[in-house]
Amino acid sequence: MNTAPRRWRTSTVLLIECPWCGPRAETEFSYGGEAGIERPADPYALSDAEWADYLFFRRNPRGAHRELWNHAQGCRRWFGVERDTVSYRIEKSYRLSGAGSARPAAAHIEASEEKRR
Amino acid sequence: MSDNGLPLSGVAISVRSGRGFLNLRLNPHHGQAVETAERVLGQPIPQAANTFTNGGHEVYWLGPDEWLIANVAERAAALGSELAEALGGFHAAVNDVSGGNVELLVRGAEARAVLAKGCALDLHPREFAPGQCAQTGLGRAAVLLAAVDPSSYAIVVRRSFSDYVHRWLENAARPHRARFSAP
Amino acid sequence: MAAAQPNRLPQGGRIDRSRPLAFSFDGRACEGFAGDTLASALMAGGVSLVGRSFKLRRPRGIVGSGAEEPNAIMQIGEGAAAQPNLQATQVELREGLKARSTRGWPGVRFDIGAVNNLFGRLLGAGFYYKTFMWPRSWWKHYEHAIRKSAGFGQAPDGPDPDRYEHMNAHCDVLVAGGGPAGLMAALTAAKSGARVILADEQNEFGGSLLASDASIDGVPAAEWIASVVAELRGLEDCVLLPSSTVFGYHDHNFLTIAERCPVRPGGQAGAGVRERLWRVRARQVVLAQGSLERPLAFCNNDRPGVMLASAVSTYVERYAVLPGRRAVVFTNNDSAYRTAISLSGAGAEVAAIVDSRPGGAGELGVRAQALGIPVLAGHVVSEVAGRSRVTGAGIARWSGDSWSNVRSTIRMDCDLVAVSGGWSPVVHLHSQAGGRLAWDESRLCFLPAEARQAHVSAGAGNGKWSLGECLAEGLHAGAAAVSKLGLKPAGVMTPHTAAGAGENPIEPLWRVPAARDADRCSRQFIDFQNDTTVADIRLAAREGYRNVEHVKRYTALGFGTDQGKLGNINGMAVLADILGKPIPEVGTTTFRPAYTPVSFGVCAGESVGDLYDPVRTTAIHEWHEAAGAPMETVGQWRRPWYFPRDGEDLHAAVARECLAVRKSLGVMDASTLGKIDACGPDVVEFLERIYTHNVGRMKVGRCAYGVIPGEDGMLMDDGVMARTGEQRFYLTTTTGGAAAVLDWMEKWLQTEWPELEVYLTSLTDHYSTIAAAGPNSRSLLERLGCDIPLDKESFPFMTTKPAVLAGIPVTLFRVSFSGELAFEINIDSNNALAMWRKIMEAGAEFDVTPYGTEAMHVLRAEKGFIIAGQDTDGSVTPVDLGMNWLLSREKDFLGKRSLQRPDCLREDRKQWVGLLSQDGRTVLLEGTQLIGDTGKPAAMCGHVTSSYFSACLGHPIALALVAGGRQRKGETIHAALSGRDPLPVRIVSPVFYDPRGMRQHV
Ligand SMILES: [Zn+2]
Repeated sequence: MNTAPRRWRTSTVLLIECPWCGPRAETEFSYGGEAGIERPADPYALSDAEWADYLFFRRNPRGAHRELWNHAQGCRRWFGVERDTVSYRIEKSYRLSGAGSARPAAAHIEASEEKRR
Repeated sequence: MSDNGLPLSGVAISVRSGRGFLNLRLNPHHGQAVETAERVLGQPIPQAANTFTNGGHEVYWLGPDEWLIANVAERAAALGSELAEALGGFHAAVNDVSGGNVELLVRGAEARAVLAKGCALDLHPREFAPGQCAQTGLGRAAVLLAAVDPSSYAIVVRRSFSDYVHRWLENAARPHRARFSAP
Repeated sequence: MAAAQPNRLPQGGRIDRSRPLAFSFDGRACEGFAGDTLASALMAGGVSLVGRSFKLRRPRGIVGSGAEEPNAIMQIGEGAAAQPNLQATQVELREGLKARSTRGWPGVRFDIGAVNNLFGRLLGAGFYYKTFMWPRSWWKHYEHAIRKSAGFGQAPDGPDPDRYEHMNAHCDVLVAGGGPAGLMAALTAAKSGARVILADEQNEFGGSLLASDASIDGVPAAEWIASVVAELRGLEDCVLLPSSTVFGYHDHNFLTIAERCPVRPGGQAGAGVRERLWRVRARQVVLAQGSLERPLAFCNNDRPGVMLASAVSTYVERYAVLPGRRAVVFTNNDSAYRTAISLSGAGAEVAAIVDSRPGGAGELGVRAQALGIPVLAGHVVSEVAGRSRVTGAGIARWSGDSWSNVRSTIRMDCDLVAVSGGWSPVVHLHSQAGGRLAWDESRLCFLPAEARQAHVSAGAGNGKWSLGECLAEGLHAGAAAVSKLGLKPAGVMTPHTAAGAGENPIEPLWRVPAARDADRCSRQFIDFQNDTTVADIRLAAREGYRNVEHVKRYTALGFGTDQGKLGNINGMAVLADILGKPIPEVGTTTFRPAYTPVSFGVCAGESVGDLYDPVRTTAIHEWHEAAGAPMETVGQWRRPWYFPRDGEDLHAAVARECLAVRKSLGVMDASTLGKIDACGPDVVEFLERIYTHNVGRMKVGRCAYGVIPGEDGMLMDDGVMARTGEQRFYLTTTTGGAAAVLDWMEKWLQTEWPELEVYLTSLTDHYSTIAAAGPNSRSLLERLGCDIPLDKESFPFMTTKPAVLAGIPVTLFRVSFSGELAFEINIDSNNALAMWRKIMEAGAEFDVTPYGTEAMHVLRAEKGFIIAGQDTDGSVTPVDLGMNWLLSREKDFLGKRSLQRPDCLREDRKQWVGLLSQDGRTVLLEGTQLIGDTGKPAAMCGHVTSSYFSACLGHPIALALVAGGRQRKGETIHAALSGRDPLPVRIVSPVFYDPRGMRQHV
């Protein structure tokens, strides 16, 4: 028999690190579901089943989960979070890769983060 | 009352009238565009997240490519046009949002305690020093909060929420010998 | 005074005898002192009966002195300010306090429900579970009677006049518990420069030291506490919170504290803050909440006068109250010997210390005997006599076998039985935080094991029973916490205490054999609050329950305010004993927030009344209010619903407003529409992907109606968009959809198409929108003075132009949501009210009529325009709505592929149609189910989404989603009405008025 008490989730106040603004209360963010779901380049090349898979099916893993969050009450940026769905620990927050020219360059970001700390 | 008109204890809440606001979107890594905007504004655009610069205007960081420029209402439209024109060749967006924002001032020794009732940010002066700003929640509304000096905060709130935020502040301040007034 | 407080000791205690306080209990006048709790004052006044038990109606007295108290549950205050279900041990006494027992309607002394006591066997474990759940419909009858006679307190009878607050706080180190360990941890951390919050549920810091005769660093404990507290107070960034219970330990080191604020002397209800909820983000946490003493189970161990030994000590030492004159102390460990010594010192007679251990206690045993206290080692109390008060104890020799029968060979008269079954560290917060627990076989308790968050346990809460260990461990915990934060721990010395008395170890004893008959354990209580007995746990085991989690639900063990404080370990031990398993193998209950009961008031904080939710208002709102318009809540917005004239009701006003728009001129405040500026080199490409129509074909100055489907093809939002430049669009959204649409667009821009150069800026609040609609709307604008020509050729339908109107710069849109000639005036919100007033003035000659949301709904329904979110519900595609003409064939857009899914191609999908009541009179309720025929059971084929009386047409109109509806025009189906026969309704086109759309083009 395992004597470890199970977690009872009553908290809604995670501390989430916005890659731009730093750690903020969960209430400032909105959740965007699993990260890394790429829109198919040619939707019409997909069968109905494949399209449904893209639309509706998610991994829903027990453990490490990469997901999208939006700093809705802050800088309005979407970013990625790696969160453990059992412990709720957040391993890291990250800016989304493949950002185009409209996105700030990494060097600049680091400088501003340095200043914040 | 102290010399600067602030209550030595307690808190004072006022609406800062006659303010104009511009919203600026710009690629911060486009050096020429940034230089152009800074030349028109006559002051630097803050590149560090959650800070603001204070020159002829206050320029608040809202996001990595977004700023709020606060100044005198009468100058907003002209400045907006000038800015838009100067940035015409770049990918940029300048919008006059003077009608969409209201600025409140919360001042006094207990200003921080009043704000802490509804703001989850750490407002300790070491963490949120004058010159810093943050878009965050106050009560149940989203606001832009800026530390002006160790006992004064500016709050910029969307117009439609301003009545709620004002009432929220008055209620929160009530146990603190609050003063409610125009500036 | 002596008469009023017969049990008050002549001196001692931490009460202020110069400040007597009058209060009442069940209507009787009582007296206590400042520094008393309600419980200590009641006890001083000789009140021994404080309630009746929940199920068996047995008389109950005060058992504990803190959060563990199961019986003294009180209703405090009256009327609107009443607070139900507070523990008397947690209520600070104040002048004029009115307390009532909540457990035992109609009164604790006369009790109709006590008859249940006779049927105790029938009301065993699972009785409620098994009996009252069937037949299910009877439960409400049972429940009503049982709840009322059990007494759960009464809800306040009006809005709470008191104030509650929230406070967000951040700290480096939060110390939960201000006893010796907590004080040392806080002192060490704060002196090291950390931001510290120290919270303790008592009104004074010191914890167990408040009832102790120990000395620290050569001074009495009270002096040491005072000096530490003074030192902490002097440190910047140290927040001291007495009367504050840390009740929740949530994820990411977020903790919640309920602070009971002091009531100002003479303070009226509502004058100050009653309770404050601290929401604390702590970088490190030190848990030093101490330990709780356990009772022991023996026959009739619930009789008033049977108390926890530590509580007896607390009443004597801290409150100068003598809980009894002649006491029997019953224990399986050394700590209760201190209680015997306290009682003896206070002048009570200690008839005997009954110690289950054959060897008795260590040094404390010697001290007790030196005081002349008889010690009966190797004995147990097997039963007590007395009903509403203990009158004697039966004592038997202890064989070590808890299921044997014993004979009480010794009877002792007494009015107090002080019991100690050992100690359980308060591991609740550690457990809430996800920490593991480990059973300690020598201390006989669960100890905190590995932590999952940034916290450490110290002191009695970590199984350290001696003062010296607690002080040292607290210091160490404080130093460790600041070290983890990168601070250098301050050099704080461990305070010096007298060496701990040599103790004999605790021996396991959970229940005593029943006298005579082993089955009489139905009077051996494990959980007083829920009347859970040893017999109930036996029954549960007999019925196959093997895990304490299940037994808990079956027997209600640990429910209510108790939350496993008193009965948890004993219940588990008894279960383990019955099952013949080691204790850790039957599990431990899960501790979850809240540690102690938390009021609804403090949960709500300031978010009540006007501040319950943000109220958004437009720049013209004050005019609407002054006009007496009832308001409709749309999302967070308040919008004028209609503008009644001279006592008109809704229907009359709406009919008049609609006709005004159709015949002359109406104006509406449409400022709540979402507005977005979209610009950039790739804006056309971006909008082509978001909207379904051919955006690129729009010329500058053109407007278009657009819909936004989700990727699943279902309609998400709609609105008019205008091309204001080659690379610039002005988008409008529904009132409720503004934020969601902006988020949706930003999400695609930022995550999927970062290569597109587009900037989006919300202009919802900056621009106010005034819709002027009706045949005279053009004349109105001309009357106001407009710098551009407004005729049909210069300014055609579905175009936009900047203009100066009445001297104010505006943007005009020739769009219509009513089907009439109409202009939407977009104007800087700072000028909106002035413009509105000018319109009302200039429009007078056209009888300009302000109209509200209701008329707007009717007007658009007459024209068959949808309201997203009312006529759609996330399962409706643009095709279902008859919007095929909007779907571009030349491009892809989000959701387009989904429209080809087989489910979206079904012919019998619900499609949007109009409905006419066959009787020409009945306005259908929105949501009415539609049925094809009237057979029973009838198959449903759709539902009504919008329904109004059209004054313009003179009959009701409705819009509905009907399976295969578009092919069924002309068909008669039925609307299912409540309490009436189904009403025949005819399926028609959703466009009821001006189907060719001529009027808006004039
Ligand atoms: Zn952010």
